[in-house]
Amino acid sequence: MMATLSLPKHSLPSLLPPQTPRTQSPRNPTFLPKSTQSQFHGLKLSNSSSPSVPSSFSAKSTIFAKVNKGQVPPAFTLKDQDGKNVSLSKFKGKPVVVYFYPADETPGCTKQACAFRDSYEKFKKAGAEVVGISGDDSASHKAFAKKYRLPFTLLSDVGDKVRKDWGVPSDLFGALPGRQTYVLDKNGMVQLIYNNQFQPEKHIDETLKFLQSA
Amino acid sequence: MSLAFHHKLLHSSVLHERARVPRGRVYCLAATTTKPRPDRTHLAVEPRPSTAPGPLISPTRPVLDDPSLKSTWGHRAWLACGCTAVLVALAKSVVVSCESHAWAEPVLAGALGYVLADLGSGVYHWGIDNYGDASTPVFGAQIEAFQGHHKWPWTITRRQAANNLHALARVVAFVVGPIDFICNDPTMLGFVAICSGCIMFSQQFHSWAHSTKSKLPPPVVALQDLGLLVSRSQHAAHHRVPYNNNYCIVSGVWNEFLDDRKVFEALEMVLFFEFGLRPRSWSEPSSEWTEDVEEESYQVEA
Repeated sequence: MMATLSLPKHSLPSLLPPQTPRTQSPRNPTFLPKSTQSQFHGLKLSNSSSPSVPSSFSAKSTIFAKVNKGQVPPAFTLKDQDGKNVSLSKFKGKPVVVYFYPADETPGCTKQACAFRDSYEKFKKAGAEVVGISGDDSASHKAFAKKYRLPFTLLSDVGDKVRKDWGVPSDLFGALPGRQTYVLDKNGMVQLIYNNQFQPEKHIDETLKFLQSA
Repeated sequence: MSLAFHHKLLHSSVLHERARVPRGRVYCLAATTTKPRPDRTHLAVEPRPSTAPGPLISPTRPVLDDPSLKSTWGHRAWLACGCTAVLVALAKSVVVSCESHAWAEPVLAGALGYVLADLGSGVYHWGIDNYGDASTPVFGAQIEAFQGHHKWPWTITRRQAANNLHALARVVAFVVGPIDFICNDPTMLGFVAICSGCIMFSQQFHSWAHSTKSKLPPPVVALQDLGLLVSRSQHAAHHRVPYNNNYCIVSGVWNEFLDDRKVFEALEMVLFFEFGLRPRSWSEPSSEWTEDVEEESYQVEA
């Protein structure tokens, strides 16, 4: 699994190690534009680029299963913002965008949620559903969804079990939960993975572009 | 001069605070950086009236002769001490460089000090703007001063020089003074002199960045236009939504890099996830901290 690395054009040298945009669809460039693979995004540092490497720097040193393109991710059942159980299988039969984000009411996540909201009709037109997942509880999701009028489902992955099962990499040496989005086709198979911590709106652009071209 | 206004003007040097938007306005908080642009994610709700008493504004342009803006002899003394410490470091560096005919390193060290002073000003400013409150040990007064500055940003232009600079001058005097005694290395002294001098005068650069072009000496305008001092436009961006950018106030050379790389956003996220600390820039500001635009309009020249 190749990870592209390039340095940004800035007048001052980088204070932090060069960071890798994790765009994991390396064999089919039509899924992702070159600019995505070559841009330097914020301060994200990927810590895994192969299935054999742990996806987070946890003390357990457990090798987590990692979801790759072409695979069917592990099933899950999580509570939504209304406290109801929602299973991944519910979305089988149509494409679904599953986006993992760090936390409710943080700037990047709010921007991302609002961007999904603003493009929600386009996703629906493409026949897709949108699901957001973070470690916040249902009450937090409910308040977040209400405040920003989010029309899609938010799921509570308290304890980050699903995040770990899917192998969502964390950023900044494990200090930040990663921001990674998966597009599943109607058969539940992953067709696109996009990772970008500090440019959250790009998740909408990339996934929508993929769905509209599919 | 209204009592409420007087209470808001603090004794210590005012740096920055977060300007706040009126209560009731909902934003999809976005880490957009420098330029204000139509935010399609903005959800506006009916704004609630401010509950904080504002200063009484006369129909005519108020004259600010509030005593808290004037320099005292104590202020002047501290400024003199700070300047002395900086000048001694500079003089020693120059003298030793002359004697050894080795200029390159001290000059480069001075340049580095100038560059790092800008970075330091940004980091400190970011920390003070986002964390703690008036009750925070050591920094409480500064934090409160920052809040006041965001409400009335223009008052910094009305402060007399020593009033504006004395707090930083005091720190410089205590830090650089001992270094002057114990250090004889011209490179180190060159770095310390320029870095501390820039930090000490950062409040003056900050004040100039709040002033209008017509009121500034032409050399200052030239330095701002050259990017050697923080520009008025760049700093004005810090006082606009979302109030989370352009924190550096010496030359501002680090601002673009820090903002484009989302350095402070990353630090905020780390502090949030590791320690549960939520920065002020993530929250809707209270009306108490809302920039008093009406007051400011009496101060801004056409």
